[in-house]
Amino acid sequence: MTPENRPIHVAVDQPQAEEASVSPAAPVHDEPPRSSIFMTPLIDIHEGPEGLILEADLPGASEGDVRIQLEDNVLSLHAHVTAPAPEGARTLHEEYHLGDFQRSFILSDEVERDRITAEFKNGVLRLTLPRAERAKTRRIEIKS
Amino acid sequence: MSGMNWQDRRWDPFRDLQREVGRLFETLDPFQPWRLVRQFPAINLYDAGDRYLLSAQLPGMTAEDLDLSITGETLTMKGERKRTEGVPDENYRRQERQFGRWTRTVSLPDRVDGTQVTAAFAHGILTVTLPKAESARPRHISVTSMG
Repeated sequence: MTPENRPIHVAVDQPQAEEASVSPAAPVHDEPPRSSIFMTPLIDIHEGPEGLILEADLPGASEGDVRIQLEDNVLSLHAHVTAPAPEGARTLHEEYHLGDFQRSFILSDEVERDRITAEFKNGVLRLTLPRAERAKTRRIEIKS
Repeated sequence: MSGMNWQDRRWDPFRDLQREVGRLFETLDPFQPWRLVRQFPAINLYDAGDRYLLSAQLPGMTAEDLDLSITGETLTMKGERKRTEGVPDENYRRQERQFGRWTRTVSLPDRVDGTQVTAAFAHGILTVTLPKAESARPRHISVTSMG
């Protein structure tokens, strides 16, 4: 693997992960959550020239409802979801549960934390996690 | 296409440990096992008295990508969710989201007034409002007190 292809990593919470020793690096809540059940948003992670792009599906959340927090090396997403039906409507069929979205990721040191940017459009959050300068390839001139 | 299609095929001995962050504590998703094999899009159907409300999770789509039609009690929804452009397959580290063409047909529990059906799309949620046909609406019968 050439140095410029050296991957930077975002560790994703995995159901099969066996490390129960991880401290509940609890995503901090400013206010008590409405519901104790959080939905895990589906995500894609792909590599671009500048770093990693993380896309998360957060349908039903609007821009103001999305909170992204970086604490130490843990990046947490939280998105409040607005109910699609008025209160009192009877549920006849339910394929998705109405809960807020939440998911956390562990960033490696190769992510330039100060330059992480986020865009939100049509219920999709797109986070750009730039590769830290020192993790980028640097050409070293050989003096003759 | 299932949610299990992560493309973490490359073996990289130096990769960070993938760790579960408080998942057991913060996330309890009763639909998790089933969510991974569910149909796309996921829909909910509500009875709001004089109308049915159908909501569908369609993140990343726009109203122009959707095609809805109603015949009698059958609502058909079609669309295509396009993949993020310009990303070669080998650049994916993880892939959980579904893409491609989809069709879903929903049989409503009762007759609706097909001419009055409306649909709105916002924040990745399609909401279809289907007013019940006159004869299918709950009727209020007033009781007149005698004497």
